[in-house]
Amino acid sequence: METILSGVFALMDRLLPFAFAEPAFMKRALLALLLTAPAAAALGVPLVQHRMAFFSDAIGHSAFTGVALGVLLGVSPSWTMVAFGAIVAVAITLVKERTELSSDTVIGVFFSTVVALGIAIISREKGLTRNLQAFLYGDPLAVTDAELLWMAALFLLVSAYLAFLYNRILLLGIHEGFARTKGVRGPAVEISFALVVALVVTAAIHAVGILLVTALLVIPAAAARNVAWRAASAFWVSVGVAALSGFAGIVASWYLDTATGATVVLAAAACFAVTALYRVTRPRE
Amino acid sequence: MTVSEHLHTLEIRNLTVRKGGVEILSGIDADLRCGEVTALVGPNGAGKTTLLLAILGQVPYTGKIRFCRAVEHGQGAPRIGYVPQRLPLDPDVPITVLDFFALSAQRRPVFLGASRRTREIARESLDRAGVAHLLQSPLGRLSGGELQRVLFALALRDAPDILLLDEPVSGVDIAGEEQFCDFLSKVQRDSRFSLLLVSHDLSVVTRHADQVICLNRRLVCSGATTEVLTPENLAAMYGTDAHLFRHSHADGHGHLHDDGGRRGSVQE
Repeated sequence: METILSGVFALMDRLLPFAFAEPAFMKRALLALLLTAPAAAALGVPLVQHRMAFFSDAIGHSAFTGVALGVLLGVSPSWTMVAFGAIVAVAITLVKERTELSSDTVIGVFFSTVVALGIAIISREKGLTRNLQAFLYGDPLAVTDAELLWMAALFLLVSAYLAFLYNRILLLGIHEGFARTKGVRGPAVEISFALVVALVVTAAIHAVGILLVTALLVIPAAAARNVAWRAASAFWVSVGVAALSGFAGIVASWYLDTATGATVVLAAAACFAVTALYRVTRPRE
Repeated sequence: MTVSEHLHTLEIRNLTVRKGGVEILSGIDADLRCGEVTALVGPNGAGKTTLLLAILGQVPYTGKIRFCRAVEHGQGAPRIGYVPQRLPLDPDVPITVLDFFALSAQRRPVFLGASRRTREIARESLDRAGVAHLLQSPLGRLSGGELQRVLFALALRDAPDILLLDEPVSGVDIAGEEQFCDFLSKVQRDSRFSLLLVSHDLSVVTRHADQVICLNRRLVCSGATTEVLTPENLAAMYGTDAHLFRHSHADGHGHLHDDGGRRGSVQE
């Protein structure tokens, strides 16, 4: 896997002959963002349609507990974060389905429970706080090769998943009963979607951190809604905004000496502002 | 028309649906016959939508729902079309009518565009429903009547044996409602599917339904429209407390007023 990465790095040296792209950690950061941000934004379009922004926030915060558990158990926190996020995602979806409580209520319960659990663990283990910092604010400059390969695998997984199920997810978001008459298996699709969102959220935490990870799913999709009214254009605008702000954010953070994750989110917010302005000044018929 | 002439029937026997320990529907017996329009009437909370969901197999129930197809028309599960009451959509949802067709008509993910076949299907179906001009319209910006037509066009595409319509004329003005019902009757006569429609609107029911099922958690009565919709039965269904009356609009519309309802009838 070393050779794959060094090949990619050599290619990046040719394509980006600039000072900011010279250090290896900057190349890793750039790759990490160009892999996770578009994947998150692609999932963000159906996520916003399903009104699940709060869900992705809850998964993001469950990562906090996942990391604490990893340190407590002596396992790599990157992986306990993924596993714990996936478990919480499935649990929320199942409880919501069985109890028929509204989704924001169920998510609210889980959200506070997992954060409380995380705080309880941290308060016992004094040395944990420093470990958590990187996850709270995100640090794409510290992404490891293994994490990078996981992000690449995830990128392929999300592409394949969406190619196969995107239509069914959107149909389910329009009307569940109607979707089921068209052969969509509601609960199975919903659980798989929650699971894929959890995987991408936990990967994107490396890039922008727990506090900001929802932004990568929601802001590009929201920007897309300002300018697109077809399903295809909404999808590609969202992905494009994510890739653009990932790139611009990294470059800007290099020259402005600001936190990379936060700068990326600000770049996405700028895209939203521009599209909102377009929408207001040229109202759709 | 004798029973043997029917291509298929749907027999509902002793259907009971429980939810959280409460019986939402108890011991329902009813028949739907091919080529007939059956209206499902009852107050809010009577279990009308639940009955539709049971027929669609989307809620657990006890009892039997049996589909019988005449031998000469082949075997297999019935195709059931469903037109929901409304779609819980934001007005700015980035999905057009064409996209909506693509979602169920093609394997190719919609972000790669609608296939040529999808375009043909959508154009043809919309044309049949008289709304070909809506092909590129955003779904969230359609009026109630336009949306009904689009949903109806989409449901008809699968050539259903049974079509379930949940309050097809809610949110549609009177002229649109008449138009839609006439159109519905015409399509239904041509295609000979059986139609089950939930309606609050007595004029729609008396004009267009052959059979009526009156529901209030249990079966109040069922039978031919003209025999069933008597003041006694309506009182039994809606209760004497409900402020219920029939009145005529200038254009001859009768409406069922049910003040406890979430959906007010057309006011004058």
